[in-house]
Amino acid sequence: MRLSVAAAISHGRVYRRLGLGPRSRLDLLRNLVTALVRHERIETPWARADEMRGYAERLIDYAKRGDKDERAMRMADFWLTEKDLIHKLFKVLAPRFQPHPGSYTRLLQIPNRDGLDRAKMAVIELKGNPLPPLVRPRRDSDKTLLNQLLKGYRQDAQRAAAPRGTPV
Amino acid sequence: MAVLVLMRSPLPRLRALLQRCWGRLERGLWPGVFGGQSPPWGPALAVQGPALVPQGINDAEAPSLLESLVWMAAPKQRRTIEVNRCRRRNPSKLIEIKRNIEVCPECGNLKQKHVLCGYCYAKVKEETRLIRMEIYKKEAAPFNAPTVETVVLYEGEKPTEKDEGKRIIERARKRPSWFVQN
Repeated sequence: MRLSVAAAISHGRVYRRLGLGPRSRLDLLRNLVTALVRHERIETPWARADEMRGYAERLIDYAKRGDKDERAMRMADFWLTEKDLIHKLFKVLAPRFQPHPGSYTRLLQIPNRDGLDRAKMAVIELKGNPLPPLVRPRRDSDKTLLNQLLKGYRQDAQRAAAPRGTPV
Repeated sequence: MAVLVLMRSPLPRLRALLQRCWGRLERGLWPGVFGGQSPPWGPALAVQGPALVPQGINDAEAPSLLESLVWMAAPKQRRTIEVNRCRRRNPSKLIEIKRNIEVCPECGNLKQKHVLCGYCYAKVKEETRLIRMEIYKKEAAPFNAPTVETVVLYEGEKPTEKDEGKRIIERARKRPSWFVQN
């Protein structure tokens, strides 16, 4: 039941409004998707990156169908404004992501923009890109309590297995 | 009735008489319309005597603007410094302290837990910019995206068998420690 009908109240509205209107929002997202496919890593406001992520992943799902598929080609034709990227999408990105079932992009927040607006910025990149990695996966240090206990358990298991394996 | 009897008299006297009658009628029926010249209706008596009207009604007019200021809210007592301190230092008015700041393990600068380290990101951004300049030099013309994967090789590195058929981008420097070759 709509309890708050007033125009200025937006409780519970989940859809973002970007740009100058729905058409402008789609154009904005289209430009961002084109840039992502071309450069494989872009830095943009977090809301735009978050919005664009779903569209980019669905485009790659369409590309995985193959370029003979009519719908896939029409989607790629609409979403990629620079037509040499259609070749890149079907010949480079589709084979790269063929083994993955989903989540082809990585969205990370970066410090707020330096300008007057201090906007919340994010960097969105396609996984498996040739550029330097943004975040290095860190293993926990060996000196933590849990890791020391696990190390001791592994050594005990080995000592228990070895004498049985090589009876004296 | 009187009007019907006097219909035969000449017109000016008739008009004056009608006006006087109409005026008396209006004053009788709508006493307030003429600006309070007639007294408001008092209690009616069976015997017509002088109307006993309480005199206080004429004085009870709407207060003028200056007098209506008397009824606005104003503080009665000075707020003591203790009360002021309680209000100003209430936790809801203090600035919230952030507990999500930690030290980046790579460079030692401060970072927020859910945000990338600014220094490390600037480092990666600079290296990406230089790699992209090499790419643009190789592509020469715009809209020349290649149809093969790309691999970045630094000084003294040879392409491995995994890099078969990939476009090679050369960077004229030693490989940085944080860019691990796959």
